[in-house]
Amino acid sequence: MTAIDAPAPVPARQRRGFLARLLGSEYFVLWLTVGYFLVLLPFLPTLGTPANLVNLLSNMWPLLVVAIGQTFVMAVAGIDLSQGAVMALTSTLAAALLATGADPAVLAKAPIWGVLLSERGGLLDGRGGVGLALGLGLAVLAAVAVGLMNGIAVARFRMPPFMVTLVAMMIAGAFAIWLTQSENIRNLPEQFIALGKGDIVSVYFGARTESQLPRREVYPLVTYPAIVAIIVAVLAHWLLERTVFGRQVIAVGANRRAAEISGVPVVRVLILAFALSALFAAIGGLLYAARLEAGRPTLGSGTFLLDVIGATVIGGTSLFGGKARVIWTVFGVAFFVLLSNSLNLMNLSSFHVDMVKGAVILGAALLDVARTRLTRQALP
Amino acid sequence: MTWMTPLDFAVRYTAVLILALIVVIFGIVAPAFLAPGSLMSTLKAASFIGIAAVGMVFVLLTAGIDLSVGSAMYLAPVIAGIAMQRLGIDVAPALLLCLLVGAAIGLVNAILIVRLRIVPFIATLAMLFLVRGLGIWSTGSRQIDFPASMRAFGQSALFGIPMPVIAFAIVAAAAHIVLAHTAFGRHIYAFGNDAEAARKAGLPVRRMQAAVYVICSTCAALAGFVLISQIGRIDAGFGEGREFDVITAAVLGGASLFGGIGSAVSAVLGAVTVQAVKAGLVYAGVNLYLQPIVQGAIIFLAVFLDGLRAIRMEKQARRSIRPLA
Amino acid sequence: MSALLTLEGLGKDWFGVPAVEGLTLSIAPGEVLGLIGENGAGKSTLMNMIGGVVPPTRGRMLWEGQPYAPASAADATAEGVAFIHQELNLFGNLSIAENILIDGFPRRMGLIDRRAMARATEALMARLDLDLSPDRPVGTLVAGEKQLVEIAKALHRRARLIIFDEPTTSLTTREIERLFSLIDRLRAEGTAMIYISHILGDVVRVADRVAVLRDGSLVGEGPVDDFPVPRMIHSMIGRELADVFPPRRIAPPDAPPVLEVEGLSAPGVIEDVSLTVREGEVVGLFGLMGAGRSELARILFGLDPAERGRVRLGGQALHGGPRERIAAGMGFVTENRREEGLMMDASVRDNLALAALGQFAAGPLGLVDREKVGAAAQAMQQDLRIKAADLARQPVRSLSGGNQQKVVLGKWLLSRPHLLILDEPTRGVDVGARAEIYAIVNRLAEEGCGVLMISSELDELKGMCDRIAVMRGGEITGERSRAGGYRDADLVALAFGEQAAA
Repeated sequence: MTAIDAPAPVPARQRRGFLARLLGSEYFVLWLTVGYFLVLLPFLPTLGTPANLVNLLSNMWPLLVVAIGQTFVMAVAGIDLSQGAVMALTSTLAAALLATGADPAVLAKAPIWGVLLSERGGLLDGRGGVGLALGLGLAVLAAVAVGLMNGIAVARFRMPPFMVTLVAMMIAGAFAIWLTQSENIRNLPEQFIALGKGDIVSVYFGARTESQLPRREVYPLVTYPAIVAIIVAVLAHWLLERTVFGRQVIAVGANRRAAEISGVPVVRVLILAFALSALFAAIGGLLYAARLEAGRPTLGSGTFLLDVIGATVIGGTSLFGGKARVIWTVFGVAFFVLLSNSLNLMNLSSFHVDMVKGAVILGAALLDVARTRLTRQALP
Repeated sequence: MTWMTPLDFAVRYTAVLILALIVVIFGIVAPAFLAPGSLMSTLKAASFIGIAAVGMVFVLLTAGIDLSVGSAMYLAPVIAGIAMQRLGIDVAPALLLCLLVGAAIGLVNAILIVRLRIVPFIATLAMLFLVRGLGIWSTGSRQIDFPASMRAFGQSALFGIPMPVIAFAIVAAAAHIVLAHTAFGRHIYAFGNDAEAARKAGLPVRRMQAAVYVICSTCAALAGFVLISQIGRIDAGFGEGREFDVITAAVLGGASLFGGIGSAVSAVLGAVTVQAVKAGLVYAGVNLYLQPIVQGAIIFLAVFLDGLRAIRMEKQARRSIRPLA
Repeated sequence: MSALLTLEGLGKDWFGVPAVEGLTLSIAPGEVLGLIGENGAGKSTLMNMIGGVVPPTRGRMLWEGQPYAPASAADATAEGVAFIHQELNLFGNLSIAENILIDGFPRRMGLIDRRAMARATEALMARLDLDLSPDRPVGTLVAGEKQLVEIAKALHRRARLIIFDEPTTSLTTREIERLFSLIDRLRAEGTAMIYISHILGDVVRVADRVAVLRDGSLVGEGPVDDFPVPRMIHSMIGRELADVFPPRRIAPPDAPPVLEVEGLSAPGVIEDVSLTVREGEVVGLFGLMGAGRSELARILFGLDPAERGRVRLGGQALHGGPRERIAAGMGFVTENRREEGLMMDASVRDNLALAALGQFAAGPLGLVDREKVGAAAQAMQQDLRIKAADLARQPVRSLSGGNQQKVVLGKWLLSRPHLLILDEPTRGVDVGARAEIYAIVNRLAEEGCGVLMISSELDELKGMCDRIAVMRGGEITGERSRAGGYRDADLVALAFGEQAAA
C-alpha cells in the first residue's frame, strides 16, 4: 500500500528540473535581464551599440545607489518614501555651497541668498578640494539628519514608516524648494561636474589614423559615478552580508521581538537603517546633480521613487522585511534600467513605458508568489 | 466610570482637536479665514480629496492600501470625457460611465489582491502605472476639453451649497451608513481587527476584501469627475501623486494603516483639516513654499499622537496579575 | 439519560499515521466531561473532528442518535457546538453586542437594528451576570469578561455542547471562580460541556466524568470521583517518570550562586520576589497560568521594568535590557517560540547564530566569520541532534516543533550562558524530543550553568529540578527542595493558595 501511495521523492524533484531551479535561483533576475537583452538584440540592434551601453550604465549608477539605501529599509520591514526629497535637498544644498556664481535675477529672492550663496558663488566656493569635500559632506550630513529623524520616529515612537517618510518627503522636499524658491542652482565647479560624467578609462572605436580623436566616438567606460556606485554597492553588500550589524538588520526585519530577546539593539538598528537609506539617497542625489550640472530642488519628485521601490522589489527584496540582498537590488536595477532604455529605443511613448513598468512589477510579484510556493514544496 | 486623563482624551480625539486648533489659530491670525464664504470654499476644495479619502478608509480598514487612486481619478474622467466628445452623451451618463470605469479598476485590484494574492502595496503600485498608461494612451497624452454642460454641472449649486460639497456630503453619509450600520460594514471592522478570526467566524472575507477595492476606486473616479467638472478639462498629469494626499487625509482623520480603526468621519475630518491648513496658510500670507512644511509638521503631529495611542493600548493590554497596591 | 453526542470507533490518520484511534465516548446533556492528555495525545485532533474542521478517517459520530458529519466549522456551529479557546476569537474594535451577533445582525430595512441588538445582548449578559453596557468595545474588557462574551456568543447560537479548551490560562483566581460557577449553572440548564485542561485540579472541580487520552487512544474513563489527580497523571503518562527524566548528578548545595534576586517588585505584576539559583542547579518555577512566572522571567531578562529590588548575576548587579543581560551571561528560551524565539523564514544557521553574533565577529568593523558560524552551527546540530537537511538554507519553519525548540536552545547554548531561563521549554514538543531536551538541560547544568525552569507540568519540574519555587498572584508562596521530597498536594496547594488546599 505504502509503495503505491508514496511516490519516490527523487524523480519528483527531477521532474521539476530546470525551470524550477531557474525560478528558485538567487540569480533569477540576472538571467532574466540577460535573456531579455539577448532576445531583444536582433530586433533592436541599437540596444547593443557602445553609445547605448554607455547610456545604460550611466542611467544605472545613481539609481543603484539610491535603491541600495531602500534595500536596507525594506530589510527591516520598513519603506522610505523620503529618498527623492532627500536627494533634492542634498543636491540643492551642495550646489548652493559650491556654486561658482549665481544670477541675482533668478535667485535674489531665495532665503539662501546672501547667506549660503551670492553673486560671487557659494560659501565654500574657491576653497579647493577641502571646500569641495566640506560642501558635499555638509549636504550629505543634512540628508543623514533627515534619515535619523525618520528612524527615531519609527523605532522609538512606533510610527508607521509609510507615514513618517511620507511626511519627511513633504517637509524635506518643500524645504529644498523653499531654499531656492524653486529655482535650479547652476554654475557648479568643474570638479563637482566631473563627479557626474568624468571618465577615467575610455574606449575609442573610431579609425586609428586620425590624430585628433573625435569626441563622439570616445566612450567613457569607467566613470566616476560608476566607481562611486560600485564602491557603495560593494561596501553595502559587505555591510549587510558580513557584519554583525547587517545580520542584525535582517534579524529585526525577520522577527523584531525575537531579535530583541536575542540581544539585538533593535532601536539602534532601525535608526541606522533609515539613516543609511538617507545617506545613499544623498550620494545618489549628488551624482544626479553633477550629471545635470545643477542643484535641483525638484529632483527625485514624481514617479522616481516608485522606480526605486519597483527595482528593489523586482530584485527579490521583501516588503515585509528579513529578506534582502544588495546583489538582488543590483539585478533589479539593471533589469529596470534595461527595460526603460529598451522601451525608449523602441520609440514608445511614455504611456507604453508606464504600462510595461506596471506589468513588470505585477509579473515580478506573481513570480515571487510562485517562487515562494515552489521553495516551500521543495523542502522535505 | 473612570475619568480620562488629558492625554487619553487628546489621544482619543486627536483629529477633532487638531482641526479645532487649526481653525482657532488661523481664525486669530487671519480672521478672514472664518468668513462664511471662505469656509464654504475651503469645504468645496476639500471635497475632491475628501471623496477619494472616504473610499480609501474602506481599504485602510482592512489593513490594505491603494496606491492606484491617483491614476483612477485620471483614467475614469478621461474615458467619460472621450465619450462626451465623441458620442455626445450628457453629463449624467458620463458620470455613470466614469463610476463604472472606476469600479472596473477596483475590480482588477481586487482580483490581483484577493485571487492572485499579491500584496496590496505592490498590486496597486503596478496598477498605478498601468492605469495611468492606459489613460495617456487613450488621450495620446493630450488635454481633453469637456463640453460646456460639464462646467455648468460643476458650477451648479443647491440652496447655495456648491455641487462638490453636496457630492462629498452624500458620499460621506452613505459611507457612514454602510460602515456603521450594515453587517457588511461591521464585518470590515472585524476583518481589519483580526483577519484570521474573521475567517474562523465564517464571515465572507474574500468578497468583503474585494468590495473595498471596488469602492475605493469608484470613489476616486467620482472625486476626479467632480474636480474635472470644475475645470472643464483634464491634462495628462492630473491626479499624479494624489494617492499620497488621499492616504494622508484618511490617516490624519484617524484611520490606522494597520486596519480596523477609522470611519467615514475620519476621511471628512482629515480632508477638511488638510484643506483648512492650506487655506489658513494662504489667508495668513505664509510664503507659498513654506506651506507644505507646515502641513507636513501638522500631519507628523497627528501620526505621532496615533503612535502614542498604539503604545498606550499595548501597555493596557499587558495583563495585570495582581491588584495595584 | 440519552446521549447528546456519541463517538463510535472514531479514528483519524495524518499521512497514514493514526493521531486518534478507536475512540468510543459519549456525553449527555447537562454533563461536564473533563478531557485530559499530554500535548500530542490527540485532544486537538478529536476537537477538530467534532468541530467540523477535519473529517474522521474511521468511525462515526452521532448527534442525538442521528449521524453527525459536519463538513465545516459552520455546520458544527449550526448543529449547536461551540468552542471557547485559549485565544479568543473576538474583535477588540467592535462592541460586546456586535461581537455576540457578528454572524447574524438583526436588521431593519437592510440596516442593523441597534435596539434589537441591545435587547438580545442584554438578556444574554444578564444570564451570565455580566454587568456591562452592550456598546462597550471588547478591546477595553479584561480577560475574564472577554471570555464571558465568548460564552454569551455560544449561548446566543443556542449551543448545546460547549467545548472549553484551557479556558483558565489567562484568568485571575476570581475570574476562574466565576467561570466555574457559570459552568455549574449551564450544567443545571442542561448544556453539555467538554472541559480540556492541563490543570488537573480544575478538572476535578468542574467535571462529572473524566476521559484520558494517550497517544490517540482512550486509556481511561469514568466518574471524576474514581480519578484522583495521581491516577489522572498515571493514565496520561502511562509509564514511569524515570523513563522520561534521565538521572542527573545533584547540584552541590554549597555551590556559589549564579542568580540572586532580592525583593523584586513591579506594581501590578510581581511583588517582593526573592530567589537564588546556584551553579549547576536546576530551579523550577511552578504556578498556575497567570501566576506571574513568565512576567518574572521577562523582568529578570530586562524586557520589562521592575520598580524595586535587585537582580545579580555572578555577584554583579544587572542593568539595562536583554543586550546587557546576554553579555552578562543570561539566556532566555521564551514560551512562544514562533513569536519571540525564532525567525521562522530564516535558516537554521542564522537562527542559531543570532544571540552569539558578537562571538563570531572579528575586527573593529564586526566582520562575521562565516566559516566559524557554519562550523559552530554544525557542531550544535550534531550536539543537539537537530534534524535538518541544510543548515544554511532550510528555513526553521519547515522543522518539527521539537527540532524548532532545539534550535532555540542551541541559539542560547552558543552564547555560553551562566544562567538559562526556560519558559515552558517542552510545550508543543513530542515525548521523544522532550527527553532529549531534558538531557540537554541536565548536561548544561552539569557543566555549571544555572537553570531557571518555568513549567505548568508538575511532573516535569519534579523530574528535573533540585528545587521548586511556587508562584501565585505575582508572589513566591513557597519553595521546596528535592532533598526534602516533593509532594504534589503540597505544591499544588502553594499554587492555589489556602482556598484550594482546604
